[in-house]
Amino acid sequence: MMIKLHMNENPYSPARSIQKAAIKGLENVNRYSESKFLIELKKLLGNYNDTSSERIVLSHGSDLLIREIINIFSKDRKIIMVNPSFFPVTQYALKQASRLTRIQISPPDFKLDSNLLLKELNEPTLIIIDNPNNPTGKFMIDKGFAEKILQKKDVLLLADEAYYEFSGQTFASMIEKYPNLAITRTMDKAFSLAGLRLGYLIMGDCFKDHFPDFLTYLSNPTLFAAIEALKKPEYMTSNVDKILSEKKRVEKELLKTGIQVFPGNANFLLIKTKILDFGKRLNDEEVNIFNLSDEWMEGYYRISIGLRKENDVLLSAIKKICNDDKNRNL
Amino acid sequence: MNRFVRTEECFIKLNINNSTLEIGRMKKIGLIVNPIAGMGGSVGLKGTDGGIYKEAIELGAKPTAPKRIEDTLALVNRKDLYFFVAPGKMGEDYIKKFDFKYEVVSEIGTQTNADDTKRIIREMVEKNIELLIFVGGDGTARDVYDALGLKIPVVGIPSGVKMFSPAFALSTYAAAEIINNEYAEVIEKEVLDIDEEAFREGKLGAKLYGYLKVPKKLNLLQGKKEASNVNKSETIIKEDIAQYIFENIEKDTLYILGPGTTLATIACKMGVEKTLLGIDAVVNGQLVGTDLNEEGLLGLIKKYLKIKIIVTPIGGNGFIFGRASKQFTPEVLKLIGKENVIIVATEDKVSRLECLRVDTGEAESDNNLIGHAKVITGYKTETIIEVK
Repeated sequence: MMIKLHMNENPYSPARSIQKAAIKGLENVNRYSESKFLIELKKLLGNYNDTSSERIVLSHGSDLLIREIINIFSKDRKIIMVNPSFFPVTQYALKQASRLTRIQISPPDFKLDSNLLLKELNEPTLIIIDNPNNPTGKFMIDKGFAEKILQKKDVLLLADEAYYEFSGQTFASMIEKYPNLAITRTMDKAFSLAGLRLGYLIMGDCFKDHFPDFLTYLSNPTLFAAIEALKKPEYMTSNVDKILSEKKRVEKELLKTGIQVFPGNANFLLIKTKILDFGKRLNDEEVNIFNLSDEWMEGYYRISIGLRKENDVLLSAIKKICNDDKNRNL
Repeated sequence: MNRFVRTEECFIKLNINNSTLEIGRMKKIGLIVNPIAGMGGSVGLKGTDGGIYKEAIELGAKPTAPKRIEDTLALVNRKDLYFFVAPGKMGEDYIKKFDFKYEVVSEIGTQTNADDTKRIIREMVEKNIELLIFVGGDGTARDVYDALGLKIPVVGIPSGVKMFSPAFALSTYAAAEIINNEYAEVIEKEVLDIDEEAFREGKLGAKLYGYLKVPKKLNLLQGKKEASNVNKSETIIKEDIAQYIFENIEKDTLYILGPGTTLATIACKMGVEKTLLGIDAVVNGQLVGTDLNEEGLLGLIKKYLKIKIIVTPIGGNGFIFGRASKQFTPEVLKLIGKENVIIVATEDKVSRLECLRVDTGEAESDNNLIGHAKVITGYKTETIIEVK
């Protein structure tokens, strides 16, 4: 069976209690979700992020929220993004933005030049930054730099923290102080709910005005599962710990093969190899990783961290491909 | 049951019980192999251009192109292909090992050369091929460009010692993947002229030689959350860039347009026709110079107070001013100034570059250009990228 390591999913299924909650949600799928459950979920997310539930907006996927923000704010503002970035959002911005500036980050450090970004903030701007960045896994901005940006009243900052639970870095504590800050999160990744699609926005006051009645009727299975998952976050944290520990092991083993690994802060690894058709050859070994050559540069691949046994198959397939390649070149 | 193939019209027809069943129209593919491409590599020579080929043979070089084409054909699983192949070692010898429908085009002698490649490709074009598969190196790509230009799309299978031209597929698998699948879009990719003498001495001097149309490869292995159908086609993106430039044209300003198809689109929007590979100049919608050399550029620069250069990087290596772009000399660039250089490129091209590069041949001139630069990638869309 194909091992899926190409979409940054959590390899651990939701806990039994969460699955049961989702199944319970199916009982009434002929009805729209009740607002009391939406309110409960927002309250739980408020507590989880140490903020008011009024600052939370729910959606089936954080990318939909980012799109909505692009729709609302791009008419009279320039958008600044990093390149590369989360590809579906980039594609949407390219299509919708009236003005778009992308700042290219380059190997090996993939560092965002803060002075370069600050120089661009001379007009009303919406900055959209995934932090950590996808596909590099690198932090683009830290709190100090975020504050510098947020002191500019004409600038809105949207930080996509889809991988917060893995990276441990968030700007959520700054949301009360800075009205021009918004954060998108997801329960798809660390909470193992990718198939149910639960994204949310934590918004500063500037954004609140534009989302006064953004009441989303989430599906009941999603709603019930998310509520249950947030009531017992220790299942999620234990999985995150296991994934991060596996990530270290996979990184160490990959380095032994001679493949270039770029350490990051999420549940995936960015690698670079000169081996031709690397992705296809792994696919032949029943392992699917994300080949970045379509949207980005040749030779770069993103590998999600799987279960230990899946990672073992991945590593053994990579070692085989590397050995074959060495023998071929002898 | 009497089966027959009516090849001249490229239709497979089965004669079953006196009724003819038309299976469908076949795709006409040209196939040509440069049998000596890649022979220099195994004996430590870089390339087989010029007389080096004979030296390679004396050193015991073995052909690599046959394996390349056979590896590719082994991966081709489409049944609706009809090949027009070059004779003998230029194509026929390899395809006959497979179960493809084909016919041989033209004739060759015992020794083959670039003229054979060009002549046979022209004959294939007359046979109305829809796609050309060629195997070779940068030199072969240049021959293909000479014979074909941008008439029909190509799949270049790398077999030479050096494949610096972005027009090549990355591997035999990648080439087969393109052949096996229908493509919605073709994009123009550069063919480079590598100075092999310099390359043998460890230097890389790459000059833009031309463009070939290449089917845009789609990665079929990975499922994605979103199909990329929101992407605009390359042609529309170039139109967008041209429109943005056009709307910002300043009066009485000399616009010096570098080589490339993006620049050709801009020139078209300005109402002039530019040379594809040359450097041309436009003022107030009038062409005031074509295919300019350094002297021509300096002469024009002296006449105008306001001057802008518009250039596009070479795909793959990102050079905007390379050592082989002799016209844009340090003196020319110094007179025009970094602030008057406008860089344009499609988003796809920029995203694939680690950085832009300059190598004018003079350190001071290079130092003036390095840092960060804005590249116009669409209508009011730009990318800031490092220049090294």
